[in-house]
Amino acid sequence: MNSKNFRKNYHGYLFIAPFVIGFLIFGLYPVYNTVALSFTDSTLMGKESNFIGLKNFARLFADDTFMTAIKNTWLIWILNFIPQTGIAMLLSIWFTNARLRIKSVGVWRALFFLPNLLTPAAVAALFFSLFSFYGPVNQFMVRAGFLPEAMQFLQDATITRSLVIFIQWWMWFGQTIIILMAGMTAIPIPLYEAAMVDGASSSQMFNRITLPLLKPILVYIFVTSLVGGMQMFDIPFLLTDGRGSPGSSILTNNILMYLKFSSSKGHIGAASSVGVLVFIMTSVCALAIFYFLRDKDKDK
Amino acid sequence: MNGNYKLSTNLLRIFIYIVLFVILVITIVPVWLLIVNATRSTVEIQQGIGFFPSTHLIENYGILLGKGLNLSRGFFNSLFVALTSTIVTVYFSLLTAYGLVVYDFKGKQAFYNFIVVLVMIPMQLSIIGFYQYMSRLGLTDNYASLILPLIANAGAVFFGKQYLEAVVIQDLIDAARIDGASELGIFHKIMMPLAVPGAVTMGIFAFVASWNNFFNAFIMISSIEKYTLPMLVQTLRGDVYRTEYGAIYLGLAITVVPIIIIYALFSRYIVSGIAMGSVKE
Repeated sequence: MNSKNFRKNYHGYLFIAPFVIGFLIFGLYPVYNTVALSFTDSTLMGKESNFIGLKNFARLFADDTFMTAIKNTWLIWILNFIPQTGIAMLLSIWFTNARLRIKSVGVWRALFFLPNLLTPAAVAALFFSLFSFYGPVNQFMVRAGFLPEAMQFLQDATITRSLVIFIQWWMWFGQTIIILMAGMTAIPIPLYEAAMVDGASSSQMFNRITLPLLKPILVYIFVTSLVGGMQMFDIPFLLTDGRGSPGSSILTNNILMYLKFSSSKGHIGAASSVGVLVFIMTSVCALAIFYFLRDKDKDK
Repeated sequence: MNGNYKLSTNLLRIFIYIVLFVILVITIVPVWLLIVNATRSTVEIQQGIGFFPSTHLIENYGILLGKGLNLSRGFFNSLFVALTSTIVTVYFSLLTAYGLVVYDFKGKQAFYNFIVVLVMIPMQLSIIGFYQYMSRLGLTDNYASLILPLIANAGAVFFGKQYLEAVVIQDLIDAARIDGASELGIFHKIMMPLAVPGAVTMGIFAFVASWNNFFNAFIMISSIEKYTLPMLVQTLRGDVYRTEYGAIYLGLAITVVPIIIIYALFSRYIVSGIAMGSVKE
């Protein structure tokens, strides 16, 4: 009996084998290859490839463009993440509040989530059209008297960067609402009832019950948003000229990596070094947050 | 006292509905303008904002075709890639998840932890090494380079495991074993039908992710006949289309409308899928 069970359980390896093989070929090896390339001066055009040690990395750290890209990516992500989570939290509290009894919560939520599914490339092109010189936003602003004449929104660094942040918010706050609400509705109601009997105010209940119990969910939102944010590409790439213009205001990590890759010679060695650095930075931050905040919970 | 309490609740409620309405306008108006402008002529679009469809849909399509932009080919390319990606993702992820749920083997917990970690790793950043490797294998400009990596889709396995844990019935599996069914046969004939709702949810996410994927396709695919819709969208920024607003909006609409239709049909699956993917343990 025991040996039979063992033989059956052995099948588990066969079931996960395709994943493992697929991961080794299409996941792990490319990572290794990227790291290996980052130590070389490889290009797409030339056959020659020399080991140059850490030169690519030294060059990146000496390069203002790389620092700009890192700074931009963090700035855009943080300025998007705070309102995204804040507004989603507020709406989730309203939606789940028994006293307020907001009608058709499901419909509101479904509509707020819609932008998340739209093709980011198309969304970027859409906002490019909406904010172009002859676009609807200018038409509206001039006709309503908010602007004396049409302006080139996308030639202003601050406006363009704000627009990227807004689009990111627009695409993601609905998703955050769904996740937060799933977390909130999973909290046992008797906890609130007991608190109410003890005379707790709603802000006390939020701070002492909702927030602590939502922590794993908040960590999840934080980590997934960070990992996505550090790889931001489609929106800033397609909103302007694909080089992070105006004035490199929306040049992100991935755009820089792409620019090195698509340069006339195709510097894949240099492009890889960007990927490797951002990979390390993101993974370390994400895993640190995850384990740091999660392990405490496990003690319970 | 009670009246005051009610009044303040009602005032708050009105305030909340106003806020919700404002956010709804911000959410929907850009999408609505996109769809409506796809049916309006460039002249109409330049004349002002309109919220009602016009009659220039066919004309706009003609303009795109006239400039050599083959939207229908892009549409079918996208559809092909997305459907194949969906099948690969769903089948292999369920297979892996089934292995994790049904069998007890050494290293199982470690493997599962590894998958959770993988979800948090920015794999896209290894695209350069991936590209160079695929070009050595002669798989660049080939859809295989977009589809095959989905055999190991950590996010989908994570979701699949959550789902299967709830629906797997061990007795059913044991009964089938007594009847002499093979392990893989049990997975195909008993597990797959049981897992249909979860597979649908997983499939929708896989489809949307593939349909929307720009970065990987942009790096891997080079010949214009193989362009998917997001890549065609990127070419719409070019100078050729500078003044053809209606046509540009149509190009975007064809990319986005199928997704909106899918969402209209399956929003329940999608919303519950998002919630389920996030609630761990």
